Amino acid sequence: MTAGLLSAPVLWLVLFFVAPVVYVAIYSVGGITLFPTDTGVISLDYWRHFLGGGSIYLGLFWKSVRMSLTVSVVVVMLAYPIGYFLALVVRKLKYVLLLVIIVPFLTSFLLRVLAWKVMLGDRGVFNSLLESLHLRSPNHPIEWLLYSQFTVMLVLAYAWIPFVALPIFVSLDNMDRSLLEASSDLGCSRLRTFWRVTLPLSLPGLVAGFVFVFVPTIGEFVTPLLVGGTSGYMYGNAIQDLFTRGLDWQTGSVLAMFLLLVVAGLMLIFGRFVQVRSVAAD
Amino acid sequence: MTETDRMLAERFNRRGFMRMAGTTTLGAAVLAACKKAEDTGGAATGTSGGAAHPPIEKEPGSLAVFDWSGYGNGDYYPNKERASLWQEYADETGDTPKFTLFENDDQGYTKAVTGNAAFDVVHPCGYKYKDWVDSDLMQPWDTSLIPNFSQLNPKLMESGVVDGQQYFIPLDWGFIAPLVNTDHVDVGEQSFGVLFDQQYAGKISWVDTSNMMYIGGLYLGVSDPFNMTDDELGETRDFLISKKQLVKFMWNQSYDFWLAFKKEEVWIGYSWPDTVGYADAAGMNYLYMEPKEGRVSWVCGMGLAKGSQNYFHAHDYVNSWASKKAAEFLMAWYYYGHTNTTADLSVVSPGIVQALGLDDPTVLDPPRAIPESYIPRRELYGQYWSEVKSA
Repeated sequence: MTAGLLSAPVLWLVLFFVAPVVYVAIYSVGGITLFPTDTGVISLDYWRHFLGGGSIYLGLFWKSVRMSLTVSVVVVMLAYPIGYFLALVVRKLKYVLLLVIIVPFLTSFLLRVLAWKVMLGDRGVFNSLLESLHLRSPNHPIEWLLYSQFTVMLVLAYAWIPFVALPIFVSLDNMDRSLLEASSDLGCSRLRTFWRVTLPLSLPGLVAGFVFVFVPTIGEFVTPLLVGGTSGYMYGNAIQDLFTRGLDWQTGSVLAMFLLLVVAGLMLIFGRFVQVRSVAAD
Repeated sequence: MTETDRMLAERFNRRGFMRMAGTTTLGAAVLAACKKAEDTGGAATGTSGGAAHPPIEKEPGSLAVFDWSGYGNGDYYPNKERASLWQEYADETGDTPKFTLFENDDQGYTKAVTGNAAFDVVHPCGYKYKDWVDSDLMQPWDTSLIPNFSQLNPKLMESGVVDGQQYFIPLDWGFIAPLVNTDHVDVGEQSFGVLFDQQYAGKISWVDTSNMMYIGGLYLGVSDPFNMTDDELGETRDFLISKKQLVKFMWNQSYDFWLAFKKEEVWIGYSWPDTVGYADAAGMNYLYMEPKEGRVSWVCGMGLAKGSQNYFHAHDYVNSWASKKAAEFLMAWYYYGHTNTTADLSVVSPGIVQALGLDDPTVLDPPRAIPESYIPRRELYGQYWSEVKSA
């Protein structure tokens, strides 16, 4: 019975996840030829070239990791007060407020990114404001507001905050309040209670939130494509370019497999910290 | 229709521009050449393939067209596109074509090679023709089945000949050259070098394709920018990497470039004629350069899929696209050139005629224009370009 119920999802996974990944893995060592220029010779040369010293793509990978790390840390720091406020401060309507926070994110991601473009451009909202306050001259807008690494990180942080606030909210909401009272009864200040009780207990939610942002943003390509300019280019863009423009599917496969392996490794490490039960609502 | 609608409508279409140029310009010289082409059979070695195919009544219809957005599928001007580009075909055959779209030449080619696009007719640009033929995806046209073929510029038709056969019918054409805002840029000697000029750091936009490799090569003075040696490719890559920090952003859709150009976020850019058209319509002070290295000219055309079940339908469709009506639509609404030599230039604004040299029969002649050519090692260009972006 169980086997019967499981067969459909397993088949789905095998067909649409495992098989394509295996296909990409084989392509990465030259085991499949699609284009007239594919050699069809099985070798690890592309992997060696990618992992070898001075590889441009490996450098790009680390740049993307740095950007993702920055975004994840910033997002967690911004989302934590939101989760804390909703779980421990608000008494009524907390789920309504949660919904209010999430609702804007039900609109198209593309629209929201384009809205940032309107705000951050040379003639955008921010630069116009600075100009009208006579803080910048019209001919010298702050140019790095748009088409820069900063823009990519800003838009990514904005996009991920509610998704991080959610697990933090859940872990705080599930916390046994009597522990806070006990801490208070035993003479802890509110700050000390936070450091010694609240924060450690919400750590699983915090780590889960961190992973929720960090993993997908390493491979991010849409946001940098729209607002990244030349300096905001990320690893995910390189993969996309190699497949759709560069016609170099083998290098693209190597890059994609490497990302998959790194992410899988990270998930294994983070999995030790995150208990699904601790961030799931009752 | 407002100007905004019109601009929106044009945003993905670079090709239109070429058509313009091709169309009018060549005037008497072209007509004379056409006559000659008619007499000699032209550049095409039309096959008599028609005889080997079942008659049109036996064909399944629902012609599958693999094309750019806004070239008949109605993305921009639903009624005009149909009325101008394929109504003649619909009247003739009673058929309604089915459109599948691609964003750029490489993507279209990739989809086709990997079996992700079934089509009867496809519309790539000249430098990719040989790739399509070499991948065994195409069959030659029988130009005798395309009555309007005799009106097409025979010189440009030669670019559709691969391995001695007319595999493509070149139709729309345009240029690639720097467009500059003359309110902010001092134009001295006109050159592609303006795309790499330190004094305009942060005000420059490149295109986000490996075409920048041959633009770089052209500027550096390599002997053949479309077939660079390993050393030249390496030198061009390093040059582009060294200049990358001057670039505000690289555009994927020409409309994005136009928006930034209009808002003066950039003053200089790699440009197709459509942006020139918008700048002209907006009354901006601009210069569409004729760089000393030459403008790059491109021509895109229709190809017929090997094994197409709609052999005669496909010929009728291309005939519709090759008409004077189609040419004038593309000129007036997309600012492109068309290879039909009977089109009337008066449908285009005088500013555009001048900026693109549409009334100048020599505008497409080397060294003023350098035809965008087949790149034998395109995948290598792509790899080096990926490295430029990733560095």
